Amino acid sequence: MAELRNVIVFTLGSVRYAIELRWVREVVSLGFVTDVPTAPPALGGVCNHHGAILPVLDVAAVLGREPGPPPRQGDGALVIEAEGIVSALRVDQVDHVASLHEENGAITDAAGRALSLLEPAQLVRRALELMSPPSPR
Amino acid sequence: MSDQPSDDRPSDDKPSAVDFDPDELVMLRQLFRAEAQDALESVTSRVLATGSARPSREALTEMMRVTHTLKGAAGTVGLSTMVDLSHRLESALAGFAREPSPWTARTADELVDIIDALGSYLDTAGEPASERLAAGLRGRIDQLAHPDRVAASPSEASPPAIVEPLVEPVLEPAPDGAPVPEPKALLRIEPERIDDLMSSAGELLFDRTRIERRVQLLRTLARDLARTRQNLRDALGDGSAPPSRAAIAQAEDELAGQATLLSQTTAALLDEIEALRRTIGQLQQGLTRIRMESARSLMTHAARTLRALRRATGVHVELRTIGEDTEFDKAVAEQLVDPLTQLLRNAVAHGVEPADERAARGKPPIATITIRARQDGNLLVLEVSDDGRGIDTMALRQRLVATGRWTATRAELANDAEILDALLATGVSIRGDADELAGRGIGIGLVRQSIAKLGGELGVSSVPGRGTTFTMRLPLSTALAQAMLFKVAGQVYAIPNVHVLDTMLVEPGASSVTVRHEQVPVLRLEHLLGHGPAQGPGHGYGTERRPGLVVSFAGRTLVCTVDKVVGSREIIIKPLGPLLAPLTLYAGATISGSGKVQLILDPAQLVHRAYPDAPAADIVDPVSGPLVLAGRALVVDDSRAIREAMTSMLGREGWVVDVAEDGARALQMARQLRYDLVVTDLEMPALGGFDLVAHLRKDERYGATPVLIITSRVSPEHRRQARDLGVRAFVAKPITRRKLLEALATR
Repeated sequence: MAELRNVIVFTLGSVRYAIELRWVREVVSLGFVTDVPTAPPALGGVCNHHGAILPVLDVAAVLGREPGPPPRQGDGALVIEAEGIVSALRVDQVDHVASLHEENGAITDAAGRALSLLEPAQLVRRALELMSPPSPR
Repeated sequence: MSDQPSDDRPSDDKPSAVDFDPDELVMLRQLFRAEAQDALESVTSRVLATGSARPSREALTEMMRVTHTLKGAAGTVGLSTMVDLSHRLESALAGFAREPSPWTARTADELVDIIDALGSYLDTAGEPASERLAAGLRGRIDQLAHPDRVAASPSEASPPAIVEPLVEPVLEPAPDGAPVPEPKALLRIEPERIDDLMSSAGELLFDRTRIERRVQLLRTLARDLARTRQNLRDALGDGSAPPSRAAIAQAEDELAGQATLLSQTTAALLDEIEALRRTIGQLQQGLTRIRMESARSLMTHAARTLRALRRATGVHVELRTIGEDTEFDKAVAEQLVDPLTQLLRNAVAHGVEPADERAARGKPPIATITIRARQDGNLLVLEVSDDGRGIDTMALRQRLVATGRWTATRAELANDAEILDALLATGVSIRGDADELAGRGIGIGLVRQSIAKLGGELGVSSVPGRGTTFTMRLPLSTALAQAMLFKVAGQVYAIPNVHVLDTMLVEPGASSVTVRHEQVPVLRLEHLLGHGPAQGPGHGYGTERRPGLVVSFAGRTLVCTVDKVVGSREIIIKPLGPLLAPLTLYAGATISGSGKVQLILDPAQLVHRAYPDAPAADIVDPVSGPLVLAGRALVVDDSRAIREAMTSMLGREGWVVDVAEDGARALQMARQLRYDLVVTDLEMPALGGFDLVAHLRKDERYGATPVLIITSRVSPEHRRQARDLGVRAFVAKPITRRKLLEALATR
């Protein structure tokens, strides 16, 4: 059964992802990114977001793929809130906002190309797990 | 001067006559300053409360009491000029309380000015320039009650109006990087808030006892289970005989009972843990509350600023305040004074139209500025609105283009909200000239900067012809701390100053160094935080001496090598949030003046890494050694500085000291606990010293307890009362250690 989803479609590396709009609080251009030594590759760094500390996640690394380049000032990012945690997902490019049909977990864009639909709650839980083992010396 | 309020003259005691360690004296003076600012504030608010009318006799007497307390405390911490000034102020107030001195409309303004000037004198007391200020103040205070004496020297007749603050910019542009270090601030806390904390702490004890009881039960249960298992094994036998059915049935019964007990205990434990969580929540809330204060003092400050502005510019503005009870962090409140002043000046200079222009628009002739404080979730919102002309966005567009900040096209395309944002960002002035009040158009930009430093945001909205509203949104609480900043691999990090003993240079390759005759390990932060030694050639990790921080935590010391020591700064500690919480190396983060995140290292983790074999539980702060007791003393005085001074002096003599701020509280405490010595002030709110001693003497436990009286005035009547009540001795203010020891030795 097909369901209509309001999503933001973005590109990261060679992969195109879709994330439902209801999780996205803001599309921002990152401020200065501070590196966090001893953190796993899933955490690209932290930055100042309206006076609070915002963790910047590498979606690919969280999903167990090859991590992308470290995030830098001026990079695009989606600020999402899931599981009570606010974090930023670095993106290479925001493509568009669209209403797309989801069928059995698969989602395709207007041109029929398959997109990878992100589940923010799962993503954040996974990131938290990666953060948890004692950091390497 | 026949109307002296008391017979004591400012004594010639020099600070050197005060028996404190230099460090202690600095601390006590800091306390005194905080307390004095409060006292002066209370006098000001009483004067402001009656407008320009003469305050009631009661109000004047209360002002005299406050200044009198101030005098005594100033003497104790060795600030003799302040003793003199408060003495004169007390005399002047006495002149008004006893009628002869005329009270005119100008008196109120002048009194408020003098008190403000006393406040600024206090901030700089001890510096050479402050003595000039004091000299001027003396004359002004004396003239206050005797304006007739002025006629002789007409040149000094009109006291200088306080114009300085209007000329100086309120805010210094902060240099890039962290804020300038300031002296460590002390926090003043209402006693009730501490009581709440104590009761939560007591609750924790109960929670612990209940949990321990459950654990005891679980232990018994484990023993029972082991016994049942043994019974069962016996019942099954070794196979040589058929198992005993009856014994198995009995063991089964026992097991059923034990299972029930186990599930009951688990449920009960869950309840206890829930209770524990509640108590910890209360404790946390209480701890947050002790840092809070109401918006009232900010509002009083605003009223005073507007009065000063009215005198300087002739512009009359009504102040309306809403939400005075809104509470927020004291540290935030202090940092808001300057931005608020700047916004008020701005409103008076730019926002409010002249009366005729207002009349033409059908507005009341006197403009209103409204300050509204409210809490919005975990944000504090402070709004400053005027009902003036509003911001002319067209004029602002032209200014942006004329000053070369924007291109004409950009200005044309921008909507009004963007134009207003530009006002905040660049602080461009609407008026063409650099006018003295709002200060060369840099005011708003600086307000925005200081709000951003607090982790907040500044917004502006405006309706042409109707008025302008500036909105400051701030985090409800911030934690300020002194920290040592340093650089590793190009990034700045911080360690709380309390844990940094020193800085030093470390020889290349050394794995341990000698600090204060002790070998301590070296932790190479450039390896821990950098990307290993692979920093490229020429960086020379291996060949040069490197700067190191001597870090101490829980009795263990180590030296952390870094790339560069930046220095000590005051920082605002921000939580890292739940996602980063598992990274235990970091205790939090702070945001630099230029908006970069800087990580704060947890000294406990550094110790843990430098002493990997020490069990974590071992790293606890040591408890101080036992004391040789002289007894338990109760010190009663309404001046905190005197209470602290007495606590320190008596403490050094081996006394365990409790303090009370007035007689009523002291009486309550004396009934709960037995004291071996009572030291009390005479004049205090609620219950005075003699009344306190009279009450105590009725209690048989206090029939013969030695009592010392701290006072600045000893009349024959005082001596008679003291004799009747069996007071051992008087200690004259300013209190010195020698005087106290003599009084204690009196038989």
